[in-house]
Amino acid sequence: MADASRLHLLAMRTLFAALCLFVIFWRILPLSTVPRGWAGPDLIAALSFAWVLRRPEYAPALLIAAVVLLADLMFQRPPGLWAALVVLGCEALKSRAPGLRDRAFGAEWLAVAMVVAAIIVGYRLTLAVLVVPQAPLGLSLMQMAMTVLCYPLVVMASAFIFGVRKAKPGESVAGSRRFGT
Amino acid sequence: MAKDRKQTDTYAGPLKRLLLGVLIICLLGLFLLWRIDSPRVERFRAAVIDRVVPNLDWAMAPVTGTVNLLRDFQSYQRIYKQNQELRRELQQMQSWKEAALQLEQENARLLDLNNVRLDSRLTYVTGVVSADSGSPFRQSVLLNVGARDGIVDGWAAMDGLGLVGRISGVGENSARVILLTDTSSRIPVTVQPSGQRALILGDNTVAPPIDFLEDAGKVRPGDRVITSGDGGVFPAGLLVGRVAADPGGRLRLRLAADYERLEFLRVLRDHASPGIDTPGDLIVPQGGPPRGPQTRLAPLNSPEPAQTDEAADG
Repeated sequence: MADASRLHLLAMRTLFAALCLFVIFWRILPLSTVPRGWAGPDLIAALSFAWVLRRPEYAPALLIAAVVLLADLMFQRPPGLWAALVVLGCEALKSRAPGLRDRAFGAEWLAVAMVVAAIIVGYRLTLAVLVVPQAPLGLSLMQMAMTVLCYPLVVMASAFIFGVRKAKPGESVAGSRRFGT
Repeated sequence: MAKDRKQTDTYAGPLKRLLLGVLIICLLGLFLLWRIDSPRVERFRAAVIDRVVPNLDWAMAPVTGTVNLLRDFQSYQRIYKQNQELRRELQQMQSWKEAALQLEQENARLLDLNNVRLDSRLTYVTGVVSADSGSPFRQSVLLNVGARDGIVDGWAAMDGLGLVGRISGVGENSARVILLTDTSSRIPVTVQPSGQRALILGDNTVAPPIDFLEDAGKVRPGDRVITSGDGGVFPAGLLVGRVAADPGGRLRLRLAADYERLEFLRVLRDHASPGIDTPGDLIVPQGGPPRGPQTRLAPLNSPEPAQTDEAADG
């Protein structure tokens, strides 16, 4: 029994990593090399937030950090900064998770939107303070909006396709205890 | 249940928080290291990409191919019209081809008369575009040729028609080309026929603006823009594009290279470019370094400064 649940945990972590790698893979396909006037959502961040709020044990901080750092390296971003901010955002959401557990999805969405806004503002401020050349502000704002708008879709896909739902009372404690020992 | 959780928290909490702190400090440390010593971390980045992307090649090529196929399929409906147009154009081209052949012969004769030797050092390596930057904020592509093929940072990359960008970041099997449209791209150019020098500043749009023109009045939309070779960035005379004016009256560059479909890029071997592999040294005037600050400061305490002042006044 314990082995089966451990295997399940491992499988879900692998699934999380695989999903993020697929997002990276899809993004670096050389389909269009013309500068686009728009920015898509940061699906990796949205996925991390959704999974952290539902099953934090499926997306441990180290895994998130590794995946986002890889994305930083692949997407030519300053390495490490965005990864650190996403991990911080996940922790902030995790600490608010008990309060959000019994409330409607709207409250969770609002919390995630605030975290996304906060980390994008933090990202741009840090780059500005360290005088790193930055992309236009409009693109960042668009990315922020798209990430927030896509969040319900990511949550729905996680729940219905991958079965990542909020743990029912009792289940999570048993799971964390088994994992903890 | 709540009590249970609290108990596990008391054991696991502080340790977890500590590890989390270490993790975040490591990530921020990497970022700061990148800010301080960018070349080293960029080399690390190139090495990581070099390790990852060629391994994905087997998957990326078919997926890219399929998507492009689907896109082409959508355009099949227009193909008849296109065919007619192409036939018409082909007829025109035939006449141009005749003219070009005559000109080529004439040119060869004139070059022969002048004893001009073309620059034989400008050879090229052709690479296939294997990935792009994956982010709307940066404009770059990854080629499947790298240090193994002798690629060096700073060389120019062209498609068949015009300049595309410059190499920045070379791995063993891959090299990154920063496109002219990237916000960090600055290319010195000459506008023909007026010969005005200018800079092309990438700004994340399809048509980068032309700036630092000496006399914008002499430049008209439609003028050819070629690299000037200033600063030793690129060999001179590579076609970049044509001048266009946007509705606001600002001069922009219409790129000659076909950015819609970058598949094969030529990387021009440029042996003239100096390699930058050490931090800069002090530039010392000829005849050895000047005397140290002590010797120059010492006379300040003696009456000599007054004399030098007088000498300066006189």
